[in-house]
Amino acid sequence: MSKNREPATVAAVDAAALEQEALAAVAAASTPAELTALRTRYLGRKSELKQALRNVRDRETGMTLNAVRERLEDAFARREADLDRSELDRALSSDGFDVTLPGEELPVGQLHPTTQVRRIVEDTFLGLGYEIRDDREVETVEYNFDKLAFPPTHSSRSPRDTFFLADDVVLRTETSPSQIHHLEAREPPVYMVSIGRVYRRDAITPTRFPIFHQFEGLAVDRGITLADLKGTLLHVMRALFGDDRRVRFRTHYFPFTEPSIEPDVSCGVCGGTGCRTCKFTGWIELGGAGMVDPRVFENVGVDPEEWSGFAFGCGPERAAQLRFGISEIRPLWSTDLRVLRQF
Amino acid sequence: MKVPVSWLREYVAVEMPLTELVERLSVASAEVEGIERRGVPDVDGNLGFFRVGRVLEAGKHPNADRLQLCQVDVGEGEPRQIVCGAWNFGPGATVAVALPGAVLANGVKLEAAELRGQLSNGMILAEDEVELGTDHTGIMVLPDEWEPGTPLTDALPLAEDILLVESTGNRPDLMAIYGIAREVAALYDLELSPPPGRDPGVAGDEPVDVRVEDFEGCPRYIGRLFRDVRVGPSPAWLRTRLSDAGMRPISNVVDVTNYVMLALGNPLHAFDLATLKEGRIVVRRAHKGEQLRTLDGELRELEPTDLMIADAARSVALAGIMGGEETEITESTTDVLLEAANFEPYTIFRTSERLRLRTEGSNRWEKGVDPHLAPQAAALATQLIVELAGARWTGKVDVHGDLPARPVVRFRPERADDLVGLETPAEEQHARLRRLGFEVDDGSVSVPTWRARDVTREVDVVEEVARFRLGDVPFTFPLRRAMFGRLTRDQRLRRRVEDILTGLGFSEVYTPSLVEEDPDPGALRLREPITVELAVLRTALLPSLVEAARRNLELGNERIELFEVARVYEPSGGPLPVERLHLAAIMEHGYARAKGVADALAGALKAELRFTAAPHPLLHPARAARTGAGIVGELHPTRLDGEWGVLELDLGLLFEGVREPVVYEDVIGYPVVRQELAFVVDVDVPAGELFAAALAAAAPELREVRFLSDYREPPIPAGKKSIAFSVAFQSPERTLTDEDAAALRVRVIEALERDFGAELRG
Ligand SMILES: [Zn+2]
Repeated sequence: MSKNREPATVAAVDAAALEQEALAAVAAASTPAELTALRTRYLGRKSELKQALRNVRDRETGMTLNAVRERLEDAFARREADLDRSELDRALSSDGFDVTLPGEELPVGQLHPTTQVRRIVEDTFLGLGYEIRDDREVETVEYNFDKLAFPPTHSSRSPRDTFFLADDVVLRTETSPSQIHHLEAREPPVYMVSIGRVYRRDAITPTRFPIFHQFEGLAVDRGITLADLKGTLLHVMRALFGDDRRVRFRTHYFPFTEPSIEPDVSCGVCGGTGCRTCKFTGWIELGGAGMVDPRVFENVGVDPEEWSGFAFGCGPERAAQLRFGISEIRPLWSTDLRVLRQF
Repeated sequence: MKVPVSWLREYVAVEMPLTELVERLSVASAEVEGIERRGVPDVDGNLGFFRVGRVLEAGKHPNADRLQLCQVDVGEGEPRQIVCGAWNFGPGATVAVALPGAVLANGVKLEAAELRGQLSNGMILAEDEVELGTDHTGIMVLPDEWEPGTPLTDALPLAEDILLVESTGNRPDLMAIYGIAREVAALYDLELSPPPGRDPGVAGDEPVDVRVEDFEGCPRYIGRLFRDVRVGPSPAWLRTRLSDAGMRPISNVVDVTNYVMLALGNPLHAFDLATLKEGRIVVRRAHKGEQLRTLDGELRELEPTDLMIADAARSVALAGIMGGEETEITESTTDVLLEAANFEPYTIFRTSERLRLRTEGSNRWEKGVDPHLAPQAAALATQLIVELAGARWTGKVDVHGDLPARPVVRFRPERADDLVGLETPAEEQHARLRRLGFEVDDGSVSVPTWRARDVTREVDVVEEVARFRLGDVPFTFPLRRAMFGRLTRDQRLRRRVEDILTGLGFSEVYTPSLVEEDPDPGALRLREPITVELAVLRTALLPSLVEAARRNLELGNERIELFEVARVYEPSGGPLPVERLHLAAIMEHGYARAKGVADALAGALKAELRFTAAPHPLLHPARAARTGAGIVGELHPTRLDGEWGVLELDLGLLFEGVREPVVYEDVIGYPVVRQELAFVVDVDVPAGELFAAALAAAAPELREVRFLSDYREPPIPAGKKSIAFSVAFQSPERTLTDEDAAALRVRVIEALERDFGAELRG
C-alpha cells in the first residue's frame, strides 16, 4: 500500500508534524548551542525538510513546505533573540543592585502652610468671581476705625489693644480697611477678597502672636442677603476643610456690619459631637461677618437703600492650624526646617 | 460675666437642659463660653448625703487635744458621733453635716472612720469643703431656724452651675443677670419676673445735697441717705452669690452695691457720709493739678477731662471708675450716702484709658448704661441695705437733666426679609420684638430704653429679628451681573516666583514684620511695643532670614535654603510709610548660587536683570551686586559662618521688567551657526558688560551668548584676563551664510575692542 501513496500528500502530512515537532524543540531550547544543533537538525542541508524541498514535484507542495521553512526560520530567529536577551540580562543582573536604596537627592521646597491656605482661599474666591486685593498694613485711624464706624469708646481704639505709630497712625487691626479703599476706588457691584497681615497688641502665648493674617471678603450688589453670606462661607469652608463640613451663624457685634454674626464650622476632629479641639461644642469659631453697616456705605458714598452687601474676615493661621492639626501658633512662625518640611 | 443659674432662675423659669440653653443663647444673644460647676457633685443623689445638724454635745476628744468629740442630731432619732477639728462652736450650734457616702467638692468620698480611737460617723463642714468660700479656720454655723435633718441644699447652695457669658460691646444690658433672664424669656417665650427691688418706706425726709455741674458727663444722680448702718459681713447667700459671680465679698454695704450691679447692670457706689465735707456731693470735672488716692491705694493725677465725684472741698471718687480711699465704707461707718447714677460712656472711657484703670464699673459705663435703670438699682440697693445692715433710709434725691426718650425707628418687616434672605411673617417679627421690650406701631417700633444706644436704625431692628432665626437662614449665592475672578499681573507673577523658588528647593518662611532693630535708623517705631523684639517696622527682609538661617545652622539642619515674600515699610517723610513687596532668600553655596537663583528667576519670568558690583553693609565686599530690583550677593563672613548666598528683590520693580506677552521667535526654520570667541581684557572689566555689548552689536541675529571660561594664568599677562564665550547666530528669515556669520563676528569683535579695549585671542 505504501507504494501507492502520493508523495505530495505524504510530504504535507509530514510537514505539519515536522513543524509541530520543530517549534516545540525551539521553544524548549535553553542555550544558543542547543539552538544551533536544532537548526542543523531541522533546517540544515540534510534535514528532512530540505530533502523534501529538493524532492518537490508540484507547486502546491513546494509552497506548503516553503511556508513551513519560513515559519521555522522566524521561530529560530525569535528564540535566538530571546536567548541573547536572557544572557545579557543575566550579565546585567550580576552586580546585586538594590532598587530600594534612596534615589538621587533632588531638592524640592514647599510653600508655607499659611500660603497654602492663602492659595486655597484665593482660588476659591476667584472661582466665585471675586478679585484679590493686597492693601497697606500701616493705616490711618480714619481708615482703620472712623470710616468703619467704630464708636469712640470701642476698646480697639485703645493703645492697649492696638499698635500706634502716631496719634492717627496704627498697624491695621483687621483687613477691613480694604473695604473702604475698595469702595472708594470702585462703583458697586464689587466682589473682592483682601488677604494680608494684621496686628493686635496681644501678649505672646502658645496660641497668640501679635502679628497674624486675615482674609477679608466684601460683596456689594443689589439684593445681597445674609443667606448669600451663609452660602458663600459654606462654600469656602468646604474648600478649606472638606465637603462634609457644616456652617452655622451666631449673633455677634462688629462696628462695620449689621446684622453681625460669627460663623462657626463644624469640628472636623469629632464631626460635631464634641471634643477638646472644639471645646465640646462641636463647632469651631472662624472669624466675623455680617451685612455691611449702612454707616459704612454712607462713609463711602454708596446708597444703602439701593445696595446691600456682606463682609467677612477669617484667619488663615487658624485655618492652617485646623487643616494641619497644629495646636499652637508657634509652628506657623517657626523657621525651623524640620517644621517647614512637613508641609 | 459669670451667671449663676440659681440666680437666673429668680427671674425666669430655667427648666430646659443647660446645654441646650447654652447653645441657644450663644447663637441668638451672647456667646456662652462654658458652664463652670461649683460645689459638691450634683449626681447620683449625692446632695442627699448633706443635712442640717444640731450639736447636742461637744467636748474634747479623749485622745487628742486639738479635736472635739461631738454628738450631732441629723434628724435620725439617734445622734451621730462626729470628730471635728474646729472649735468655733459648741453645744446647740446649727451646723452643716456630710454623712458617710457623701462626695465633697474636692471629689473625696467620705467614709465613717476611727479617729484616734473614736468613731467619726460623718463630717461637720467648713466653707471650703463645699466651695462656698476658702475659709477653713472654722466650720459653718447656720441660723438656728433650720431644723436638724433638713436637706442642706435648702439652707446652702451646695452646688451651682455658672454660665460664662461673653456679651458683645453693644449689649451692656447683657452685663446683668436680669438682662440675660430677659433674653432667655424672649428665646423660650417664658414669663419674665418684674425687675428685682422695691423701695421700702422712707423713714424721714432728710435733704440730700447733690449738685450735678456737668449733666453731659452725668445725666442722672440719685443719692440716698442711710443712718444707723451696721457694717459687717454679708449673709452666706449674698457672699455665695458674689463669689459665684466672680466677685470677692467685702462687707454688707459694699456687697449690696456689687450685687445690684450684677443683678441689674447699674454700677453703684457707697460713701461714708461722715467723711464727705458738708455731706455734699458735687459732680464736676477735675481741677487742674488735682489728685485723688483711689481705693487701690494709687495716687491719681487728674486732668480737667476727668469726671469726678467731689464733696464740698475736694474730689472723692473717679466717677464711674473707682472710689476714693478717704471716703470708703469701713467697719466704723454708720451713715451711708448711696450713689445710683448714670455716666456718659466716652467720658468714662477716656479717663479709664488714660489712667489704664479698667473696673467692673467702667467696663459697663463705657458701653452705655440705660439712665432709666438708676431708680430700679437704687430701689434694690435700698431694700437690701435696710434688710441686711439694719439701716434706716432717711433721705433721697434724684437729680437729672432731660433724659433721652425711647427712640422710634421706622421698621418694614419686608425689609428684614430682603436683607436676611428668609421670610418671617410680619406678626412673628412683631411678636419677637415685643418680647424684647419693643413697642410695635404701624411702620415703626419704639425701642426699649436699655437698647436705646444700640438700636437706632431700621437695620438694627432687622438684626433683632434675624438673630432669633439664624439657624433657619438658607444657603444661597448672590445673583451675579458682574465678574472679577482673575489674579492681577503682580499676583500671578508672585505665585510664579513662589513656585520657582520652591521648585529650586527653597522652603518658604514667615518672619515677623516687627523687629528689634532695622538697618535704616529712620525705620518706623511702635509707640508702645509689647516686647523689644517686636518694636520696629522692618525696611528689609534679609536680616530676618539671616537669623532664620543661623537658627537652622544651630539646630544642625542641612540644605538650608529659605525664602520669604513680605512687605517692607520704607519711611516716606509723611505719616504713612511706603510699603513694598519684597522677596528675600538665603542659601548655602555663596555668591554663585545666589546669582544662579536670580538668573533662574529672571529667565523664568522673562525679566531683564542687569548686575553691577555694588557694596552693601550686609554683603561680602567683593561679592555684592545690585540690580534694578535689589541686591544679590554673598553674606559678609562676619554675619554667619560659611558661605551664604543671599538676595533681596523688590517684586514690584522686578515685575516691571517682565516682558509680557512673550513673542515667539522662529528657531526651527533656519540653522544656527555656533562659534567660540575669547577676548583678553583688563581684569576689572565685568564679563556681563562684554556679553551685553556683544548682544547689542550683533542684534538681532546674535541669539545667545554663553559664558565658557575666565582664564588669568600665563600666557595671559598680569592685570588681564581671558573671557571665552560661545555665540549662536540665527536668523528667522534665512539661512546665514559663512559670510553672514563672519560679518556678525566682526561686529562683535569691533564693538568689544572699541568699548573695552578687548583683544581677540588667536
Ligand atoms: Zn470637636
